[in-house]
This record gives sequence, structure tokens and C-alpha cells, in this order.
Amino acid sequence: MDVFAGTTILELGAGAAGPVAMRYFADCGATVIRIESKARPDFLRTLKLTPNTPGGLDAAEHFAVLNVNKLSVALNLSMPEGVAVAKRLALWADAVAENFAPGAMKKWGLDYATLACERADLVMISTCLNGATGPHRAYPGFGGQGSALSGFNHLTGWPDREPVGPYGTITDSLSPRYSALLLASALLHRRRTGQGQHIDLSQVEGGLVCLSEALVTFAANGEVLGRIGNRARHAVPHGVFRCRDAADGRERWIAIAIHDDADWRKLVAAMGDPAWATDASLAAVAGRQTRIGEVECHLDGWTREHDARPLAERLQAAGLDAAPVLDLGDLHDDPQLAHRRHFREVEHPVIGRHPAEMNAIGFSETPADIRTAAPKLGQHTAHVLRELLGMSADEYASLEQKGVLA
Amino acid sequence: MRGNLHGIRVLDLTSEAGHFAAKLLGDLGADVVKVEPPGGDPARRRGPFWGHVDDRERSLVWLAYNTSKRGITLDVTKPRGRDLLLDLVARADVVLETQAPGALATSGLGWDALRAKNPRVVLCSLTPWGQSGPYAGWRGSDLTVIAMSGNLHCTGDPDRAPVRCSLPVAHYHASIEAALGVTFALVAREQTGRGQHLDVAMQAAMIMPNMATASMFKTTGNRGARAGAFFRQPKSVQREIWPCKDGWVSFALRGGPARVPGLVAMVKLMDEHGMASETLKATDWKAYNHNLLSQAEVDALSAEFGAFFASKTMTELFTAAVERNLMLAPANTAREIAASEQLAFREFFVEVENPGRERLRYPGAFAKITSSDPAATAIGIRRPAPRLGEHTAEILGEVGVTEAMLIELHHARVC
Repeated sequence: MDVFAGTTILELGAGAAGPVAMRYFADCGATVIRIESKARPDFLRTLKLTPNTPGGLDAAEHFAVLNVNKLSVALNLSMPEGVAVAKRLALWADAVAENFAPGAMKKWGLDYATLACERADLVMISTCLNGATGPHRAYPGFGGQGSALSGFNHLTGWPDREPVGPYGTITDSLSPRYSALLLASALLHRRRTGQGQHIDLSQVEGGLVCLSEALVTFAANGEVLGRIGNRARHAVPHGVFRCRDAADGRERWIAIAIHDDADWRKLVAAMGDPAWATDASLAAVAGRQTRIGEVECHLDGWTREHDARPLAERLQAAGLDAAPVLDLGDLHDDPQLAHRRHFREVEHPVIGRHPAEMNAIGFSETPADIRTAAPKLGQHTAHVLRELLGMSADEYASLEQKGVLA
Repeated sequence: MRGNLHGIRVLDLTSEAGHFAAKLLGDLGADVVKVEPPGGDPARRRGPFWGHVDDRERSLVWLAYNTSKRGITLDVTKPRGRDLLLDLVARADVVLETQAPGALATSGLGWDALRAKNPRVVLCSLTPWGQSGPYAGWRGSDLTVIAMSGNLHCTGDPDRAPVRCSLPVAHYHASIEAALGVTFALVAREQTGRGQHLDVAMQAAMIMPNMATASMFKTTGNRGARAGAFFRQPKSVQREIWPCKDGWVSFALRGGPARVPGLVAMVKLMDEHGMASETLKATDWKAYNHNLLSQAEVDALSAEFGAFFASKTMTELFTAAVERNLMLAPANTAREIAASEQLAFREFFVEVENPGRERLRYPGAFAKITSSDPAATAIGIRRPAPRLGEHTAEILGEVGVTEAMLIELHHARVC
């Protein structure tokens, strides 16, 4: 059974934050309909586009990975007829999700206040960088700014270097999860009460709630937490250490987290009780903390003589928390991810066979899956408008002729 | 105050990695009961402490992620504790846990036992690697799951080790994933009448933050690389994090229809301060394509932008960015965030009363919800983090534990 079989979600917007959120629903059986236009295509469709790209807007793999299982309707929202069709779809669908800059939906008369006049139980979610209200609501930005504003940049990197932020602009990956949680809770609420609602998710605020520890610590003690490399305040050593290079010359690293003194004793034994490590003053965390630079240096000397994955396996067998650092290619050879079938292949009409990733939830009764490739722009315009929405053949032909469906 | 998850009872058996998951459900109106061992959750022993007083009611990491919960103590590894927990499961909708795979079953609280007690219950297990598979028995934590997600490899400076965020982002990602999985399972239960077991893996949760680049490896061959404060382009490396007078700002020299207006506006601002060269002012932004710039061209541009940023503070630059749509953002610390006028306007921060201590200012709701019945869709912090065992009597009272029994259970160290 699919959790959201029979549920229709209208998706407007672009990029990652909005579309990734609706993937959760599409993978669980919802009919997710993207409204797109050749006049203003999703920028993910154009990242590597040149006039000579075979397949044009439909050849973008970045878009394809993030939008599997969805339908695409081509609709030009710069034409009033296009907006009118979008409105009919919004009032007909079970939910509306959008991640335009604040004000765009209102300009078209597709904002919650307007739509709710005609459909009181409308469920709608809007996501943007700073939220739909406030002096910075119109401030434009991508995840790079979100990561900086919400404090993740400041907290990531080395204390003697620039802040760097976690790879992949973290507010773009936190916010889809929040969106899916919020929208599912709203649909559950409507199912039980019949009431609709509008959700205004600020990507920055979502990130800040994650960083409650830093903000509450500042409020309580006036202390500003900063970046401390890979160290941890309570686990010593806690870091990433160089291993032997791979056969092809790639750098290899191992992550090791020693959570307590018992872990430390296991590590010392696994290293073969070297003289530096059996020093009694390192037996307790406070002693290791005092001489942390020295401990890390010795450990790095030891790990450099080993291959990362076998060493991690050996340390795990000794009951320690250790793992090889995998690059983006290594993930496709990782046996644990393979066991979960985290990457699943799908046949795309332009790109061909390509992997797309699943979410991190294994459902025992209602498994998610990848069923269809990401849509070509406008691939489902006729299907959605004619068959699902029930538009007459005449009206459809007339819209097509006016160039509304492009 | 109710909320979207009003009427849903959650038993929170998690340790630190999952505290946030249950808090999110509580912020949406679920009735969350934190179940701690009689000695208290280990996070209570973790500093920094409020006012630097080492006390189990003053751990800030505990206080931060356990709001919107009531709390009981119960040793579920003892037979009487287990039986009481099963009685609570019979009245619950959701159980959240973070033990190693199989550990709950050893205590007689595995999925089969819970399902037998209550077929409607949803069990969500949040673990580093998942419930089964070759590494299911491995230990794992924020650092090691991020190591095995590709995300660590790509974060940090190229001349140093891969580096993590100094706060555990894998906990945050996986906790939201777990909370959304639970909510999906509750929607499914509306139709099937049955609960299910959710297997959420932190390693898998940390792959999506790579934003499709992991999936694309098969065609791009790109294994990812650390670029530090920079951004790699086909022909050049461009700075993205810039030093300014009192900190750092994020600003990209990338083009495209969404970004070029910001570049144009920035050059105008620089010109007003007499810091834009004739060459820079003569740039044809319509033709600007960051993909085509040579490193020498990037360096020339960067020298001018960099000199301007270095002459201004984070606040000066951000104020201008908001006024002129510059697409520049300061690398905020908690201090700037606490002073944000945007967050103040949205009443984002809330004061939470902590009995026996003081009020503490918290980040509030993770979204704003508008509806015709605001009390029914309320979102945000419901109550302070519970004191150790604060609600044991009232919650165990629901399953028939009297005051006299409670004293005896305390004595036997069951709660």
C-alpha cells in the first residue's frame, strides 16, 4: 500500500528546497504535479544548458535526480489564461506547495488568502529563505546565504581559518524535510478535523531551530559556540586522520570517535600498546584533552600506515566508533547503502538509465520506491488537464493554440 | 493549544541523536513522554551548563532539545519496568528509539512485542546505519555517519582533513527525517488501522544534503572535493566566503538571471564608495558567464570585491544587501542571530519558564501556521524540558500505579 495513494499535490517553484520536499510524497504514491514553463524554466534544468545540448531542457540530470516520480504540466503563468488554469488545479488538488519568493503567488492571485476564499479546507505550504513576513522577506537568496545567516557556516571549519559551511548548502537540505513533516501533519489534521491551513516555512528559521544548542547556550551564558575542526568537547580524540593513499593516488582518511575512557583503552590495545599511548596521564579524558595536539599527531602517524576501510573494520571489530571517509563515488560501492537499495536506477527518455536516491526511511508496511523518471517539461500536460482535471477537448485545444500550455 | 498532531501520544526512548525528533512532534502538538533511565538521560551530564553550574537540570544540550515533552523515569531493562512500558505502549501511538539494532528486543520490547501489545503503534528506530545489513552492528555517531555519506569528504579546506560542523548536523537531519516518517506512518494508519516499524538510518539521511551530486557521480565522474571558502568552476576557483572588517560574508561571483542583478547592484554600491574601478564598471553583465572566466579574470574581480568587503562590517554589508538585493549574507554567530530584526519581527524567539531556575530565551516554532482555527493548528514550544522524573507519578498513574506502588518502584530502582 502507498501512504499517499490518491493524494494529489500541486507543486510550483524551482531548485532543490521545494522539489525535494515533494519527492517524499511522490515516492510514497502521491500524484505530484509540477507546474513549469518553457518561458521561465526551473534553473536546475538550465545549469549546464547550451544551445547545443541534445534534449535541451529535458537533459538536465540534476533536475532528473530530484524530480523522479513526478508529473509535469507546462503552463505559462505570464498569461492570464495560464494563471486561471493553475488556479483550477490548486483548488482541485489536495495540497499546494510552492517555493517562490514571497509575493509571487499573490501577484497571480494564487496566494493562500485568495484561494482559501474559494476552498476553506485548502492545505498549502510556502517555503522561502526568510519567511513570508518581516523586513527581510523580500531578500533574495539561495542556500549559500541560508547557511551563512542561520549560523552553520560560522560553526563549520577550522578555528584558525575561514568558516566554510557543510557541503551542499545545508538549509536547502534541512528545509525539504521540515516541509514534508509539516505538510504531512497538515494533511493528517485535515483528515481528522476538515480544517485547512497555510504553512510559512523560513529556511533560516528551520536551520536555527536545529541549532538550538548554540542559541540556548548564548542566551544562558552569553557564550558564542564556534568552529573547532573535528574535535568534540567531551570525546577525545575525535577526528579525521590520514590513511594510506588509494592505489590510484586518491587521499584516504578515517574518522575515529573515542567517546570515553573505555574506548580509549580499546584503541590503545588496537594500536598494539605503543609507549606514547600507555602513558597513564592519557587514561582519563581530561588528560587527553590537555595534550590533544600530541595525541592527534601520534594517532595520525599510526593511521597513515593503514588502509582506511580495513582499519575501520578492525576498529569496529574491537568495539570502536570508526569509519572510512567515503567520496561521492565510493557511496555506490558501499555495502550498507547497497543493502538498503539507497540508489535505485530509473530509465529516463533523454538521459538514459541513471541512479536516483531514496529517502532514509525504511517503511515496513508502506515502502517508498522510484517508479518513473523525472518528467520532460510538459510531458503530462494533456493527461493532467484532460483526464485528471476533466478539461474539454475544445478548451484544451484553444489554450494550446494561444500558447498557454508551453 | 492543540496542534496538527493533537491527541497523538509519543513515547520517547531516544538518546541524544533522537531527542530532536520527539521535540519536533511535541512542537506540532503531540503529547510526548520522555522516558529516561532512573539516573537520567546521559545528555543531562553534558556541558555546557546553564550558569556553568554542573547540574542535571542545567545541561544546555538537554534543555535545548527536550522542550515540549513531559518526562518520566523507568528502567525498561528490568522486568517490571518493561511491563509498565508495555502498558504505556498500549495507550500510545508512537514509540521512538535509538538503541543498537536488536537491543530493545533483548529487553522484551522489540517490534513484535510492541505490535502484539498495540497493533496501531508506530515504532520508529533511528540508528547510525539501519536495522539490517553488513554494518548494522557497527557503532556510529555524527562524525562517522557523515564520514560515510560523502558529505565529510567534500567539506573543509583542501590542504587539511575533511571537517564536520562542530554541532551534530546528522542528528538534526535524521531527526527531522524520523519525525516525518512517523507522520507519514500516522497518515497510513488512518487507512489501514495498523502501525508499522520505521527503520531510519543516519548515514542514508546524510546523503541527500549532497544535493544530487552523489547520484550524478555515475555520469559526471565527480567524486567531490574540498574547496574551503571557495567554489570550484570548470575553469577557475572563486571565493565564496570573504573576510570583512569584523567577520565573514558569503557572496558568489556566479551569474545567471537570478544572480546578475545582485552583482550589478553590488558594483553600484562599490562605486558610491569610490571603490569600483573603471574596468569593473565597464563590465558587460548581460554577457557575464562565471563558467567562462579564466582564473586571472576571477582574481582581478576578486581583488576589487575583496577590498570593498574588507572595508565594511558584517552589519554594514548585510544592511546594504537587504536594501539593495545584493545576495550577500553574513556568516552569523549566535550573537548576530539573537539581534536579528527579521527574527524579532516574526517573534521567532520565545521565553521559556524553567521552574526553579529562570526564564531562558529559545528559538521558537520551526514554521508559522495560519488557519481559521489557530488554537487547533498551533506550533511551537509547549513546555520546558522536563526535570528528572517530573511527570512519573501522573503518567504511571494512567496505567494504575498508585502512590504506594510508586514508592516501592523507586525503592527497587525501577523508576
